[in-house]
Amino acid sequence: MKKEIKISLALFIVGALTIGALYYKKREKKLNEAHNLALQDKSDKKIILPSSSENAKKLKLVKEYIQDLEKNIKEGKAVLPLDSSELDSKAKIAQDVVLKNSNFLSDTKDTNGRLLHNDIMRILPAIPSTLNDKSKSICKDKSCYMVEKYNFATNTTTRAIVDVDDKKVLEIKRFSNTQPDISLRLTKIARAIALKSPEVIEELGHTPTPNELSMANVRTNLKESPCENKNHLCVAPTFADHKREKALWAIVDLTDLKLAAAKWAGLGKTFTPACIDERTLQNRYIMENFCQKDSSYSKFGWSFIYHLTGSDGLEIRDLKFRGKSVARSLKIVDWHVAYKGLGADKVDTSTPVYVDGGRKVEFVKGQNNEYTFGYNDAMGCPMFSTSVVLAFNGPQIKPILKDNQEIGFSITQDFRNPKWPMACNYRYENKFEFYKDGSFRVVGINLGRGCSNKAIYRPVMRLDIALDGNKERFATYENGAWKNWKVEGKYQSTSSEKMYKDKYLYKIVSAKNGKDGFYIEPNRGQFDKNNRGDHERVFVTKFKESEGDEDLLTLGSCCKLNEDGVEPYIKDKEPIDKENDVIWYVPKVQNDDRAGHEYCWADSGIDKDGNPIVKLYPCIVGPKFIPIKSVEK
Amino acid sequence: MKRFLPIVLVVLILSGAGYFLLKDDNKEDKNILKESFSFGEFNKRKSCSRLPMFLYKAGIKRPMIDLSQNKYKGIAFYFGQNFSNVLHKKEWEKYDYMGTYSIDNMGNIYLAPNPFISIKATTFNLQKAIYKMDSQNGNLQRWLVIDEIAPNQNNPYGIISLVYDCDDNTLWASAIDKSNYKGSRGRIYHINPKTKKILQKIEGFDALTLAIIHTNKHKLLLAGNARDNSLYAFVFKNSKISNGAKKVLTLPNPNLHIRKVKVIGKNSLKIEAIKFNYSLVAETTKKVRFVYIATYNPSTNSWSIIEK
Repeated sequence: MKKEIKISLALFIVGALTIGALYYKKREKKLNEAHNLALQDKSDKKIILPSSSENAKKLKLVKEYIQDLEKNIKEGKAVLPLDSSELDSKAKIAQDVVLKNSNFLSDTKDTNGRLLHNDIMRILPAIPSTLNDKSKSICKDKSCYMVEKYNFATNTTTRAIVDVDDKKVLEIKRFSNTQPDISLRLTKIARAIALKSPEVIEELGHTPTPNELSMANVRTNLKESPCENKNHLCVAPTFADHKREKALWAIVDLTDLKLAAAKWAGLGKTFTPACIDERTLQNRYIMENFCQKDSSYSKFGWSFIYHLTGSDGLEIRDLKFRGKSVARSLKIVDWHVAYKGLGADKVDTSTPVYVDGGRKVEFVKGQNNEYTFGYNDAMGCPMFSTSVVLAFNGPQIKPILKDNQEIGFSITQDFRNPKWPMACNYRYENKFEFYKDGSFRVVGINLGRGCSNKAIYRPVMRLDIALDGNKERFATYENGAWKNWKVEGKYQSTSSEKMYKDKYLYKIVSAKNGKDGFYIEPNRGQFDKNNRGDHERVFVTKFKESEGDEDLLTLGSCCKLNEDGVEPYIKDKEPIDKENDVIWYVPKVQNDDRAGHEYCWADSGIDKDGNPIVKLYPCIVGPKFIPIKSVEK
Repeated sequence: MKRFLPIVLVVLILSGAGYFLLKDDNKEDKNILKESFSFGEFNKRKSCSRLPMFLYKAGIKRPMIDLSQNKYKGIAFYFGQNFSNVLHKKEWEKYDYMGTYSIDNMGNIYLAPNPFISIKATTFNLQKAIYKMDSQNGNLQRWLVIDEIAPNQNNPYGIISLVYDCDDNTLWASAIDKSNYKGSRGRIYHINPKTKKILQKIEGFDALTLAIIHTNKHKLLLAGNARDNSLYAFVFKNSKISNGAKKVLTLPNPNLHIRKVKVIGKNSLKIEAIKFNYSLVAETTKKVRFVYIATYNPSTNSWSIIEK
C-alpha cells in the first residue's frame, strides 16, 4: 500500500473517531442540558392545590377571628374594629368616630337589611396625597387620621378622613373592586394559614418557622387579586429557599380563610409574583395533569383510565371490574339547554341573539305560538378546547359512605362558566360512582343557574359498554318481558312504565352469556332526596369511532325538544343484536326557582358572618348499572 | 500532486462530516430573542388606508367598523351622528364571525375570521381563509385560502390577525392553529395581494395581533403574543422581517394577551388586551378588553404602562 493511502486511512480513522467522540460529547451535553431544563421546568411549574379547605378553620387565630365575626353580627354590628393593640390613642378616637358615622356605615347592609362582613383594616395619620383641598386646609392645624374599611361581600374599600381633634369625619370615599392593605390581625392569620398548611409543609420538607416566611401586609404587589375569585381578598406569603434559588408562593384567601393554591417560582427577575394567580395555576395544573395525559385508578376491584377531554367532559376509559371489561368509554358529551317562550310570531331570527353569558341563542318555533330557545354547552379542558363550560379544579375521588361504611367511591369533575352563579352562567358536574358489589352509576349534576326559571336541561350521556368479547345485546322491559333490540333505535320513557322487579327498565348483556351483564336502573328519584327523576330517552347505536369515540362536536340542536342530536346515528337502523353497542342515555329535567322548591338552581346570599355565599339546589340525573348476577342470585 | 488526492479527499470528507455533525443546531425559541434592543422614537403617521368606495358612494364618510359580533354577525358599519345608523347586509354573515381587519390603499377591507361561542361543522374550514370586502361594491369574498392551516377541537383558531403594509402594498397575516399546550406552532405570512403569493413565512410565533410601526431606528412588525402578556417586534430588512422576535414590553397582568396596538401620539401606544386561552370566546360581558397606554422613554429605552 502506498504511503499516502496509509496516511489517508490513518487520518480517516483518527478523524472519524475524533468527530464521533466530539459528537457523542455534544449529544451528552445537550441531553444533560435538556434534562436539567426539564427538571428545572418541572419544579418551577409545580402547582400545589390544597386537598381540603377545612385545615385552616381549625387554627386558633382563625377560630378566634370567626368567633369575633359571629359575635359582632349577633350584636347587630357589621364592622369588625381593629384591636386596640394596633392603635395609638388618636387612632382609637378615629375608629370610634367612624363607627358612629352613618355615612361611613352606609354600605354595611345589603338591600334586605342583612349585615355584611366588614373589617377596619388600617388607621394611620392622614397623608396629604389622600386629602382633598378642604381637608388639606383643616388638617394643616388639626390632627387627621385616615381609616380604611374593607367590605368582604362587595369587595369595596371605604376610606374616611377623620379630624381627631374635633372628632369629625371630613371626607369619605368608596373604591369598588379595590382592596386595601390588610390589618395586622389578618396578616397574622394569613401567615398562620401558610405556616400550618399540610401542603406547604410537605413541599418544603419540614415544618417552617415564621422566620422563613416573608409577606408584606399588603395584598401582594399585583394590581389584581391573585385569587381564583377576583372579588376575594388574597395575599401571597412566600418561603424563600435561597440555596435552590426558589421560593414557594402560598396564596391565602382571606375571604374564605383558606390556602387557595401554592406554586414554586424562581427568585430571579424572570419570575415575578405576577405569575402567581390561582385561576392560572389551576388551569395549568388541570392541563398538565388531566388534559395532557391519562391517569389511572383502581380500588375495590375496579380499574380505569380517566382524563379530561376538549369538549366531552370527564371521560372514563377501559373500565374493568375484577379484571373483566365493563366499558370502553363513559362520558357526558353535551348539555342541551332550552328555554320555553310564548309569542313565536314576534321572534326575530334574522340576526343572532346573545345572552349576557355570551352564548349565541338558537330559536326553534313550535306550535301554538310557542318557541324554545337556548344553546348547547360543551364541557372540557380550560385551555386549548372548544368548550365554554370549563374544568374547575381537577377530578376529585371520594369515598361513598352508607351508615359510616365505605361502600364504594366516586370520581367527580366540576365544570363552570367563570362567572357562575351569575345569570346565564352554568355549572355542571360529571360524576361516576363505583360500588364494591360491581354496580356503577353515571351521574350528571346541574347546579344552575341559567337564564330563567323555565330551563329544560338534557345531558347527553354516551355509554360504550364493552362486555366479554365486546358484542352485546340490549333489551327493554316491555309488557312483563325483556325485548331484545335488533336494530339501532330509540326509546322514550314515560317514567311510569312497569319495570322488572320495579327497578330495571333496560338491560345490556354479553352476546356470549345472557347472565353476564347489567340491569339498568333509571333514576325515578330513588337515589337522591327531592329528586324529580330522569324522564329519559335512550338510544342504542352500533359502535363507530366517528360517532363519539373521540371528542364530539356540539351534538344536534339545543332546542328541538323531540330531538337529542343522536338521531343521525340511528338513521340507517343498522343491526345491533350481538354487536358492539353504544347506549346514549339522555335525561330531561326542568329547573325551578320557586322558594322552597328550587331545583337545578343557584342563588347568591349572605352567610351568618356577613360573607357572600352561594346556595346550591342541584338536580342529579343518571342511570345505575347493577350486575345481573348480583340480582339473580 | 496527484498522490496527495486521497489525503485531500479524506480531509474534505471529515471537514464536511464534522461541520454537519458538530454545528450548533439548537433551534429552540428561534423566534424569540432574549437580548434587548433599542426601540427608537416614533409618532403617528398618516395611513394609506382609504374609505371603501361603496361607503363613499352611499354617503357614509366616517364609519365605525363593528366586528364585536354582539349585534351583527360578520361585519357592520355604524355611521352618522353618534353612530346611530348602521349598514349591515345579510350576505356579510355568510362566512360567520370576523375578528380583525385592515384596509388597503384602494379601500378594500381584508378580514380575519374568528371562531365564536360554539363550533359548527363549517367553523374550522372558515378559519383557513382571509376574507376581502371589495371597495367598489362591498361584496365579501373568501379571498385567500391557506391550505396548511388546520384548526381542530383542541385549538379552533386559524388566521387570527392581519395588517396592510402601506410601504410596499403587501399584507401580513398571522395564524395560530397547530399550536398546543406544549408549544407554539403559529405562523406569520407575508402576502402579495396582487398575486396572492406568500412571500415570506415566519414559523414558531403565535401572533394574536400585528401592527406596523416606524421608529427613528427601525421599521418594525409588532406582534402581541397569544402565549404571554408581552409585545414583540420583528425588525424589517428590505421588505422582509428578520427571524427572531424581540421583546418590547410586558403588561402588568399575566392573564392578558395583546389583541390590538395603535400609535396614538409621540412615543405613545394604545394597547388593548384580552384574556385568551385558545378556547372559544365565551363572554361578551361588560369588560372584555383591557386598555393600556404604553409610553416609550427614549433616554432610558424603557416603557411606562398605565391601565386606562
